[in-house]
Amino acid sequence: MEANQVAVFAVLIVFAIDAALLASLIILKGIHRQRSLHQRQRRAGYMTLLAHHLTYPESTEPIGRKTAADPAFLDAIIDLRNAVAGTEIDTLAGIIGRYGMIGAQARRLRSRFPLGRRLRAAVALAELGDESSADVLMEFLDDTEPEIRIQCARGLGRMKWTPAIDAIVDRFNVETPWVRSRFTHTLAGFGARATWPLIAYIRVNHRFESAGPAAAIRSLGVIGDTQAGPSLIQILEEATDPEIEIAAIEVLGVVGGPLALQTLIETFESDDWRMRAKAATAIGEIGDPVAVSVLATGLEDNDWWVRRNSAAALARLPGGKWALYDALTSKDPFAQDAAAEALADSGELIAARHRDQTGTATARDLALLAHMTPEHDMAKT
Amino acid sequence: MTRPIRILVADDAETITTLLMTSLELKGYAVTTARNGVEAHELGMTQPFDLVILDQLMPGLSGLEVIRKWHEQEMNIPVIMLSGVDDEKTVVDSLDLGAVDFVRKPFHLPELMARIRQRLRALEIELAADSEDRSNGSGATADNQDAAQ
Repeated sequence: MEANQVAVFAVLIVFAIDAALLASLIILKGIHRQRSLHQRQRRAGYMTLLAHHLTYPESTEPIGRKTAADPAFLDAIIDLRNAVAGTEIDTLAGIIGRYGMIGAQARRLRSRFPLGRRLRAAVALAELGDESSADVLMEFLDDTEPEIRIQCARGLGRMKWTPAIDAIVDRFNVETPWVRSRFTHTLAGFGARATWPLIAYIRVNHRFESAGPAAAIRSLGVIGDTQAGPSLIQILEEATDPEIEIAAIEVLGVVGGPLALQTLIETFESDDWRMRAKAATAIGEIGDPVAVSVLATGLEDNDWWVRRNSAAALARLPGGKWALYDALTSKDPFAQDAAAEALADSGELIAARHRDQTGTATARDLALLAHMTPEHDMAKT
Repeated sequence: MTRPIRILVADDAETITTLLMTSLELKGYAVTTARNGVEAHELGMTQPFDLVILDQLMPGLSGLEVIRKWHEQEMNIPVIMLSGVDDEKTVVDSLDLGAVDFVRKPFHLPELMARIRQRLRALEIELAADSEDRSNGSGATADNQDAAQ
């Protein structure tokens, strides 16, 4: 055979293989679409059947083991469980228990593969939120697959299974940031019940670890329990890791209250610009007008973020607005800029323009308007 | 024979429409469903309903927008608003626009059914009286009155 004929033959072979693969893909896609359609139709039918049981909870109409084993039936139960409240959940729990659905999903989760099947089982157990699955979910908090761990934690959070709090918090040190963030979300669902386990974890670990305790501190911020304030103040005073300090400063703005103000004011004098910037924001969140004079000094900081955050905090504090107006006449042009931006962001610029148009502008309004004109920017350059 | 009470259930979640349709039909109501606000609005304009169960958040038109449009056309259909949004403003806006009740999701099915029965009690009594009159040979019926409207 000549070389040309060989080349043509090779191209034809490749073309034939591609065509066969494409045809297989189209056929498989069609099969999948049909299966999905049938599953949706079955699910709709099961929804009607379950609605009948919810309307007449005393109904003894059998459901059938084959029906109960159908994934579409499980989907229907999960959807209904999320839509109703009260005794209907007990009715659904009765159906779930009667047909051993938790056990079936637990067996799938315990199987070694495929991963998709195990993950679907974890999601189903999480969604069902049935306390009989708590032991299984606790067992698989240590699973090798991160998404399975996330779903197990989520399920335990949905049923407010408090023994899981310590187990989830203990994993903060070994988890990736993504998993930790999902655990944080789960712990927020437990509310104040998670506060003290988190504080205990932080106290023990903040001298040896960084990421885990920082994530735990942020969890306290999401939970928002003010009981965490005094402990976080102490942790901030003891901590030497900047990540932990930054996290503590952030969260003290949320849960610290007036008790945290003095510590945050001291942090405002840190050599680290990140601490000063975060402290400015936290002080603003606490909202005590006592801090106005401290934040006013932040307008002249040599770091942009500190100036910006100080100005933003002043705009929120009672009486802080006047400190910003005073800064418009400061000798420091950067302080002027920070003050003007914060005043503009808080709506003062629009109000000043309106007063100027109606002839009722004050000296402060004119100072702000003058600062925000293009001519002023050109004069600076 | 009494005509069935006609209820429109409008919700983009199939779970809710199926659950409510099944429960209401089992109790003898005639149920029509809509999957979005536009469909709900059109059905309300073209067919007579005794009660509407309307979801607040739907694609197309929201529940509030549907009620507002009906009011603009002077269609005063009793509406029970369903909402997953736990927001005082939504409750107040719904009731101000004329909704007769507001139920938060996830809802307690027996409670929702009780609220529906309570809203329809007067109509059920009227329909039963009309049916009795007809069987005794009297002329006026609720259907005739609906047609006159």
